[in-house]
Amino acid sequence: MTAITIPRPGASEFALRAFANEAGKGLRLMWRRRAITITAVLLNGFMYLMIQFFIGGGHLVLPVLALTLPALFAYVSAATAALQGSGGITEEVNGGTLEQSHLSPARPVLLIAGRLAALAVEGLVPAAVLALAFGLGYRPHWVIRPDALVPLALIVADALGYGLLMTALTLRVASIGAVVHVFNMAVMFFGGMFIPITLFPHGVEIVARFVPTALGVEALNTTLAGRGLSAAWSDGSLPWLLVHVAGLAALAWGTYLYTLRRARREGGLSPR
Amino acid sequence: MAMPDHAAIELTGLTKTYRRGRDLLTAVDDVTLSVPPGQVIGLLGPNGAGKTTTIKMICGLILPTAGTIKLNGYDVARQRADAVRQIGAVLEGSRNVYWPLTAWQNLMYFGRLKGLRGQEIRPRAERLLADLGLWERRHETVGSFSRGMQQKVAIAAALITDPPILLLDEPTIGLDVAAARTVKDWITRLAADEGKTVLLTTHQLGIAQELAGRVAVIRDGTIIADLPTPDLLSRYAEDRFQVRVAGTLNGFTGVLPAGARIEADGRSTVVTLRDADQHRLHSFLDQLRAGNVPLISVSQAQPSLEEVFLRLIQGDGGDGRSAPAAANTERVA
Repeated sequence: MTAITIPRPGASEFALRAFANEAGKGLRLMWRRRAITITAVLLNGFMYLMIQFFIGGGHLVLPVLALTLPALFAYVSAATAALQGSGGITEEVNGGTLEQSHLSPARPVLLIAGRLAALAVEGLVPAAVLALAFGLGYRPHWVIRPDALVPLALIVADALGYGLLMTALTLRVASIGAVVHVFNMAVMFFGGMFIPITLFPHGVEIVARFVPTALGVEALNTTLAGRGLSAAWSDGSLPWLLVHVAGLAALAWGTYLYTLRRARREGGLSPR
Repeated sequence: MAMPDHAAIELTGLTKTYRRGRDLLTAVDDVTLSVPPGQVIGLLGPNGAGKTTTIKMICGLILPTAGTIKLNGYDVARQRADAVRQIGAVLEGSRNVYWPLTAWQNLMYFGRLKGLRGQEIRPRAERLLADLGLWERRHETVGSFSRGMQQKVAIAAALITDPPILLLDEPTIGLDVAAARTVKDWITRLAADEGKTVLLTTHQLGIAQELAGRVAVIRDGTIIADLPTPDLLSRYAEDRFQVRVAGTLNGFTGVLPAGARIEADGRSTVVTLRDADQHRLHSFLDQLRAGNVPLISVSQAQPSLEEVFLRLIQGDGGDGRSAPAAANTERVA
């Protein structure tokens, strides 16, 4: 008997396949819990509609809807990434599959990247469904141009950074469910889903910009208002959004590496 | 076939210390173990002895505080990717596979995770599922399976890359007799027919006795015995004799040695003498002859692994006699 002779693919080919394998697994698991996703879409949509009616004094105020609907999209993406990322890791820790997945020659960065890709889809699908349903249903006055894709993509990146941060903390924080819930509430209230951020008191507006996706919603509203990316750049929302996305991604990745290493030091990849 | 010049599993000075508040807890203490290719070794110990921690350190899932681990010559700390390619593991108390996915999806996922391509995994998955009797239900979710079938999927997932080293942490726990038998037969086959190195932990010592050619007993993180299984059993058989006589000992006027155990079935009586040297045995036989008790046989009693294990972990020979650690701990060449 000799050492195993699994064919050694090229590093980039193996990396790509490891990434795709993890993303595929995430999507299959998502499909298994599609009933939860559908329920979440309905509940989020209903809650958003009721609060818009409440704010409008029994009426739907279309200018407000035009400004808050991007925030609903952002909230659903971010909250799904955080909830499913954290919940998925918790389930894998308890089930022992997290340990099994780390018996791979693939680097952890590939596994987590694949996991995030699946989370992106899982968040984007309900977010897009809700945005399309309300957008087509109420036809808010938006100027839809390709440049809106830039803040849209950055919102998704910000949401994934937030999801990764919550996922990373799951390896360390015992009551992560409550933590994720509180943070998701913050994203909901301060991300402009009910009241546009620009209508907040000045101090709250400044604080709100640190909340994941808030700057993205501001930049997206600027482009959807027809003022283009240059306006989003000059009002500071786009550059600060870039900084926020990069900073949150770095923080989340650093936290993940730290908590993963600590879990391997303390046996935290399985239930303790 | 030329044997490789390195051990399949080589642990040197392996130590793991956890910090618990202000205290330090040593879970594994300076464990050194060398397992040659093709050997089935049982790592036995009471709960909390350090078995699972040792296995997880071998897998690279827990970082050791000190010491080195080599798998087929690959250092787990420095050559992790190559090292994990050598192993398949079924870990204790875990599902090990994704219950919401089907058996087939699990095998495809774990095969790809280890670097295999789809076309390489399919024939192996087909063979494993067929051999384990799961082929007909391969497209059902693992969560809908019985505990035994789930464990079979976990074993199939561990074997999907045909690794030379298998780490099985309580592989038969929670299984019914039939499922445990299947798993046991599989381990036997993997070792005997495919030459795999198996490190096995179990509390079912009958299984360990049946499967493991070598037993290492761990207590409080330290290996206290490490011998080929027959040697370990015979070591404790040396001072135990069974004397079988016809009928009962009702009319026997002699003195039974201290600690003797008597079992009668009506037609014959078996007296088991523990801690008996040749002198005591002859003395007892002389008494039987003087009493005209008809002797049927005298044999050296073979203790079960369970008895030996209990004596080892209790730190004595069962009668308060200390078991010299140095004598019990022998390295296998």
